[in-house]
Amino acid sequence: MHEISLVQNLIQQLKELAAANNASRIISVTMEIGPLAGVVVDSFRFGFDIMSADDNLIRGAVLIVQTPEVSYRCSGCGAVMVTASARPEQCRQCGDKLLFAEGGDDLILRQIEME
Amino acid sequence: MCDVCGCPSPGDHSHDHSHDGHSHGATPGRTVVDVHASLFAANDALAKSNREHFEESGLVALNLISSPGSGKTTLLEHTIEALKGEISIAVIEGDIETERDADRIRAKGVPAVQLTTGGACHLDASMIHRGFHQLQKETGGSKIDLLFIENVGNLVCPATFDLGEHERVVLVSVPEGPDKPAKYPKAFTSSQTFLITKTDLLPYFDFPVDEARAEALQLNHHLQVIDLCATKGGEGFEKWLNYLRELVAAMRAKSR
Repeated sequence: MHEISLVQNLIQQLKELAAANNASRIISVTMEIGPLAGVVVDSFRFGFDIMSADDNLIRGAVLIVQTPEVSYRCSGCGAVMVTASARPEQCRQCGDKLLFAEGGDDLILRQIEME
Repeated sequence: MCDVCGCPSPGDHSHDHSHDGHSHGATPGRTVVDVHASLFAANDALAKSNREHFEESGLVALNLISSPGSGKTTLLEHTIEALKGEISIAVIEGDIETERDADRIRAKGVPAVQLTTGGACHLDASMIHRGFHQLQKETGGSKIDLLFIENVGNLVCPATFDLGEHERVVLVSVPEGPDKPAKYPKAFTSSQTFLITKTDLLPYFDFPVDEARAEALQLNHHLQVIDLCATKGGEGFEKWLNYLRELVAAMRAKSR
């Protein structure tokens, strides 16, 4: 459950951004959670729901999660597979199992709507 | 700011983004702010400062990650014995509770700091920052060549947090089974070395070493895979010691 620490970090950032924009309520938060970020979306959401309920600024805010795509390049034939879902088991073209992943390993706060 | 050395602490949250709010035609009274800030950024910045501290001190730092019971502490005990008089070692131990692991390391005559996370499932860069200062106090500033950070036993969460280590070592013991790389990929894609431990138990378990090696290399073809038995020594354990010797020699050459 390292997602809880990450949510704590997020809430800290939300507070700073709300103060900088003279906002008193956060309406929605858009996060981009990479499939290879090592973050379980359900756990992150669970942590956000629990911790936002404790905070006047964030209570009731909607958490929007976007999943970016990851490119997997085959080491054998060079074919590239782009997907936001699970890592492909093997290359679609030649069946090689050694695939190099690119992107999708970050956890990014994209946008906040507040008033 | 850290009150020991004045270096940046997690409280000194710095932003690499602008705070100028701009509206995208949202409901009147509402502001939409594009942020685009990584939530890993705060930890990564502190990890970078840890790495700089380590390099200023001329030491190599390794982060050991595995499930509970893979033999991290046992490996360290035998490594300390084997390198006694050759490489000066210190250890930062991470556990949820108790000083037990640090006590085992201290019994080998090596300085150790125990970090108890009080429930948290991983170590992060700020804990290592504090732990390293504590270690420096305990050793009175005497030279450390090699710092082992033994992470909380967990193959999932620690993989996400850079601690400022130079290399990351992931361990799987023979009784755990060979499918760990496939099941917990991040620990393996983020590591430089993969140790298969307790190989003396191979006759009693179905653990095809070559298959485990191949699966791990599919995830991360840079991975160095070593199979060893720390308690009985032998070829694999020697290979591990040589890997450590090389890292320390490279750092000594760099800081000369």
